[in-house]
Amino acid sequence: MQTELGTKNSEFQAMHTPSSCRLSGAWSLGALTLLSLAVIAGCGESAPVDDANSTPIQEAQTLPEEGMMPTTRTSALKKIFHAVPSPIETALLLEASGVIFSTTDLHDASLASGYQTTGLQAVNLGIYAGDLSYATIFNRNQEAIQYLNVARRLADELGVGDLIDGALIERAENNRDVRDSLIHIVTSTFYALNARLKENGMEDVSGLIAAGGWIEGVYLGTRNMKLATDELKIRIAEQKLTLGNLHSLLASYPSTEDLAGMMAALEPVETAFAGVKIVDHAADTRTAEDGLLVISGGPEITASNETLAAIAEAVAGVRNYYAN
Amino acid sequence: MKAIQHISLAALATILAVGTSSEASAQCRSFTKKRCLPKLEEYVQNDNYNTAVLIPGDEAELSLTFFGGRAYRLLVCGHPVLGDLNFQILDARGNGIYDSTDKEAGHFDFRVANTQQMTVRVQVPESSAALQHEGCVSIMVGSKS
Repeated sequence: MQTELGTKNSEFQAMHTPSSCRLSGAWSLGALTLLSLAVIAGCGESAPVDDANSTPIQEAQTLPEEGMMPTTRTSALKKIFHAVPSPIETALLLEASGVIFSTTDLHDASLASGYQTTGLQAVNLGIYAGDLSYATIFNRNQEAIQYLNVARRLADELGVGDLIDGALIERAENNRDVRDSLIHIVTSTFYALNARLKENGMEDVSGLIAAGGWIEGVYLGTRNMKLATDELKIRIAEQKLTLGNLHSLLASYPSTEDLAGMMAALEPVETAFAGVKIVDHAADTRTAEDGLLVISGGPEITASNETLAAIAEAVAGVRNYYAN
Repeated sequence: MKAIQHISLAALATILAVGTSSEASAQCRSFTKKRCLPKLEEYVQNDNYNTAVLIPGDEAELSLTFFGGRAYRLLVCGHPVLGDLNFQILDARGNGIYDSTDKEAGHFDFRVANTQQMTVRVQVPESSAALQHEGCVSIMVGSKS
């Protein structure tokens, strides 16, 4: 449906339906004024409230207009996203690969209040998010709640503390014995946090958190390589791909001192991962018995024990550089 | 008088541009949570926020690593005002693995046998409307064992 906009009241009313936010014909000052007012008032909702805590009842009240606007942009663009595995994803892989949980490997929670710069706060929020995820996946509920509180403190320092408020902590405590609920709380909280930071023009901070989470995941996975299963060794070697994703992510933001510092700090890690051999093959597909498409093929990834030891040492170096 | 009218028009156009852009951006987070996230169902969401405000003719691309042994749901979720979004999955060599064209679901479920890098490419269809709309588009990835 296309609606012409004039100064008549009936046409102004039509602006309040989602499919009528469309304009053709001659413009007038009055029309533009009405259009401006109508767009601000009629084609969208007010800014959203706390993502992590909205309820299904609120969700059911979503208006169809939300998430769209008439645009002023005329030329098409290509938006490139870069993504790294979330700490929860990495923790799930580590658990499935036979990693043994050790509290002593986790970052000291008492150090959280000592980080004074935005860069250190962001990287350490990522590191603690890694510990939070690790504890959550391994059902170490007391540690999980402790690290959620630590994350709250650092998120507060970064100006997004409202996303990890008292109600969220209470919800986590009430669900501390239900792993799936805790996983949902952690992932949705950090998703909301990433979204808010990007929305606030703090993408670099979001990137530093992602870097901290990646570092801690690999750090925890490489603490005892002498006892590592073959599966764990492959999982660690595969992180060469995700390190590439992380590098692209960090490089995609306008450079800051903190981002440049992180890129430099990761150089020894990249050098260590250079020992991982990747033989490229095309992907292939087949349909499994349950009807799901299975994507096979892809690269063969191998690493020697020496390479894995070098990765473990390099990752510990960058992790401790930021954490201590 | 004419000069005043021109200045007023320019000012209003600026307000319109800034206001609508930031408003749409602010709405995307809420839009994604309410209208996209639930479609991941039992898949554990990745916490990356891959959401942008796009217009007809735009493209979006996401490169990421998928791990062997895990099942994934790739969800491409856009505001209906943008029409039916098409998306493809390409392997590391750029070969097509999946194309959503002519398929109704806005998501694709699959399992990965071997860990590999893949790229998701999304196209917003062109529109011939006199006034184009911009809308939120979110690329979401959920996984399970």
